[in-house]
Amino acid sequence: MNSDVYGILLTAMGILLASSVIVPFAAGKRKYAGWLNFLFVTVAGVMLLNISYITVFGSSQLSQLLHFGPVGIYFMVDSFSGFFIAIIAFMAMISAFYSISYMEHYPEYSLRGFYVSYPLFILGMIGMVTVDDLSLGFTISWQLMTIASYFLVKFEYRKPEIVRGANKYLVLMELAWVFIIIGTFMVQGAGIGDSLHTIVQKMGAMPGNYQYLIYGLILCGFGFKAGIFPLGQLWLPDAHSVAPSPISALLSGVMLKTGVYGILRTFFWMVPHSETFHYNGSFWGILIASIGVVTLFIGTVQSMKQNDSKRLLAYSSIGQVGYIIFGIGAALFMFNTQSEFLRLLGVITIIGAVYHVLNHAVFKGLLFLTSGSVLFATGTKDLNRLGGLLKLMPVSAVLAGIAALSISGVPPFSGFASKWTLISSSLLAGSEVLFLLIFGIIALFTSAITLSCYVKFFGMTFTASGHEWNAGHKVKEVSAGMLLPKIVLAALCILQGLLPFVYFQTIIGVFQYSKGSIVYSVFNSINMNDHLFSSMMGVSVSVPGISGIASSAAVPAVVLLVFLGALLFSYLLRRSGGSEEREADTWMCGYQDLHNGNRYLNRSMFASLKSIFRWTGGNVKE
Amino acid sequence: MDILLVFVNILIFIALAPLFEGVIRKLTAKVQSRQGPPVVQPYYDLIKLLGKESITPGNWAFKLAPLMALSSIITAISFIPLGFRATALTQYGDVITVIYLLTLGSVAILLGALSSKNTYAIIGASREMATIILVEPVLAMTFIVGAVKAKSLGIDASMFSLSSGGYGWASVLMMVVFILALQAFVGRQPFDTTEAEIEILEGPFIEYSGPNYALFKLYMMMKQMFYAVLFVTVFIPFLKTGYYAVDIAVQLVEVFAVTCFIGLVGATNPRLRIDQAVKYYVVLVALSLTAVGMSFYGV
Repeated sequence: MNSDVYGILLTAMGILLASSVIVPFAAGKRKYAGWLNFLFVTVAGVMLLNISYITVFGSSQLSQLLHFGPVGIYFMVDSFSGFFIAIIAFMAMISAFYSISYMEHYPEYSLRGFYVSYPLFILGMIGMVTVDDLSLGFTISWQLMTIASYFLVKFEYRKPEIVRGANKYLVLMELAWVFIIIGTFMVQGAGIGDSLHTIVQKMGAMPGNYQYLIYGLILCGFGFKAGIFPLGQLWLPDAHSVAPSPISALLSGVMLKTGVYGILRTFFWMVPHSETFHYNGSFWGILIASIGVVTLFIGTVQSMKQNDSKRLLAYSSIGQVGYIIFGIGAALFMFNTQSEFLRLLGVITIIGAVYHVLNHAVFKGLLFLTSGSVLFATGTKDLNRLGGLLKLMPVSAVLAGIAALSISGVPPFSGFASKWTLISSSLLAGSEVLFLLIFGIIALFTSAITLSCYVKFFGMTFTASGHEWNAGHKVKEVSAGMLLPKIVLAALCILQGLLPFVYFQTIIGVFQYSKGSIVYSVFNSINMNDHLFSSMMGVSVSVPGISGIASSAAVPAVVLLVFLGALLFSYLLRRSGGSEEREADTWMCGYQDLHNGNRYLNRSMFASLKSIFRWTGGNVKE
Repeated sequence: MDILLVFVNILIFIALAPLFEGVIRKLTAKVQSRQGPPVVQPYYDLIKLLGKESITPGNWAFKLAPLMALSSIITAISFIPLGFRATALTQYGDVITVIYLLTLGSVAILLGALSSKNTYAIIGASREMATIILVEPVLAMTFIVGAVKAKSLGIDASMFSLSSGGYGWASVLMMVVFILALQAFVGRQPFDTTEAEIEILEGPFIEYSGPNYALFKLYMMMKQMFYAVLFVTVFIPFLKTGYYAVDIAVQLVEVFAVTCFIGLVGATNPRLRIDQAVKYYVVLVALSLTAVGMSFYGV
């Protein structure tokens, strides 16, 4: 069975490698090359999804040394890797399909480099979540991922500002790599290619004080990748906003998650227990949760200030990753307390964080593909110039609306389920720990700011007005090739929101099957059925010491049913008077007509808020 | 049986919300030495609007918005324990659900405003969003003060626990903050920056007419009553008799008093500019955060 999974993994990797060699030869025929790339990525993707299926549902694999000629690299595909493999493989397929039509947008650039880099980028990310060391295999994966994505970001190499953004990205990612490598070799006796298990043993023999240096450096490195404040602000908005949109979707939706993966692996798996080395989980929990909360607040507020739609999405990625990091830190803290109440909430929190990893990949992918479609159709991503596309791009508008509601956490869409889980568990834990209470309130407050970002994003792109004077040519809905991937993602947004119990059960399985983590025993000792009530209707939680249901919560199905009933009632009420309906132009309050000079621009939105949040940085110059 | 309570809630709100609106209008008129319309005038308005011609700019978002607004407040109402009795739905939601549902109503206003393409409407939308962001935390912390005490985010648990067993300093402070935020919650002077009739001509609603406008009007009235009910349920729980009908009657009398208060404050205050209002909200948020902290230490 073991060799089976690793066999499939190597085959899939081989196919990706082959793709990057073969497809560029076809790059002259753009569509043909796109399809070929999609075909290769899909074959590899299906194999990888198969691996995830095998591992997530029960057969986690142990670490294994695989030989590539003279070198041996440790790989480990357990249920936790499997979960991330699924996200990477799925989004890679979606994005590859979208690229077929989207890359028509750049007739003046050759696609050869694009199709060399694309499969290598995927290969690097798969490597990141499957290799089981922090030196040799890690370096190969990290460099593959970074350098391939560097060329993808730099796709429009004739524009100097894009090259500048890409160069900065490359330099900072190399810096992050240096942090992690130094951190690893701080461990006494760590050799090249040591598996994590070996590293943990060697760490255990060291004095405990070294952990602050080692973990600190590794946290900085992976934090750089994940985009934590203030490191993420240095590279993320510049790199993500200039890449071609399907690549932005992968960068934001998936690549940041390899940083999250690294943080989780480090602080939940790479933890020695020995006489000399006492892992200070509470300290790291508080530190990571604080970083997360600052990141989610600052990132989201900065996102609200942006005028460029892709920059808005990029800053918002920082904010959303902040939620995940916050969840990880809060959970780590809660697991390291004695209170049974908090430990149970820790379980809920870590589920929420991992759930948000999945949700964010889907809706942020969808949002980047949306802004890509708008860019494709209108030629601009400046929210000051866009507007009024609702009638012209109706399908994209509906899909964007779903994504916007999901990321804002409106029930019953997917963001609600995971954000609810994070916020409510930290608020509940707040009755015993003050800082979690405050953090929970900040997270709740920030989700209202997220809403404002996406009201702006959706409102200023699809409603309001603007394209009439600025888009230049006639705007058409994008082709089916670009709509189809978005429809799939939008369907997932709804599914992940409506059926949280499926995902809860899956994620619980992920932690129950993956051996060696500090939560392994908690997940296997707590009888989930006593505390977590999940059904078609949703998920609710009870905690020890309190009678009844403490937070009956992710119940999107109930809310949706009531809401639909109310919607029907409202509809009938509106019809009840039997009034006629007529279309008319907007009344301009005395102006002759609406034009560029008297319409409300994006940069004026929320001026009063922007001024009280000026201190958070990321301001846009007028 | 409990499922009936859901319909009782909705029925009471739809039946009485226009009446309370009428009371405010009458009261405002009296303060301004006018005779004012009869208290049942809002009912007439709604019925008349439902029959009038509906003029739209012809996109689906504009027509969806009023439905979304009214549905969100109806959904929120069906979750709250009116008359101190949990409905069949109360256990299926928690306070975060309620907060999100209330926010959804404001989102609907924004959607309608943005899709109407009117410049004044979008100014109103921008102000509404700023208001939501800074006033929603006050609402959230009202629930959280109770939730910290009860160690539960259940709607009934966190609503009832805030003032049960007497007022602590935390409850008193929270009550004061809630009263100070009340005008902002219901969008009345001095915080009616979103609509600001004489400045931006009803802002988000400028393009709405006929039944669509009727739906928005009903939504605004029900939202106003919702916050009044929330206030009396959370902060005045001691007049509880245990008889459902009596409890509701008592609560409605209290709601009437709160409504009169809203009307009086509204009639005697000038409107603040949005930047002044925003500074005021920041102070409220800070105060309510203090209340939460005090509640944590059991003060």
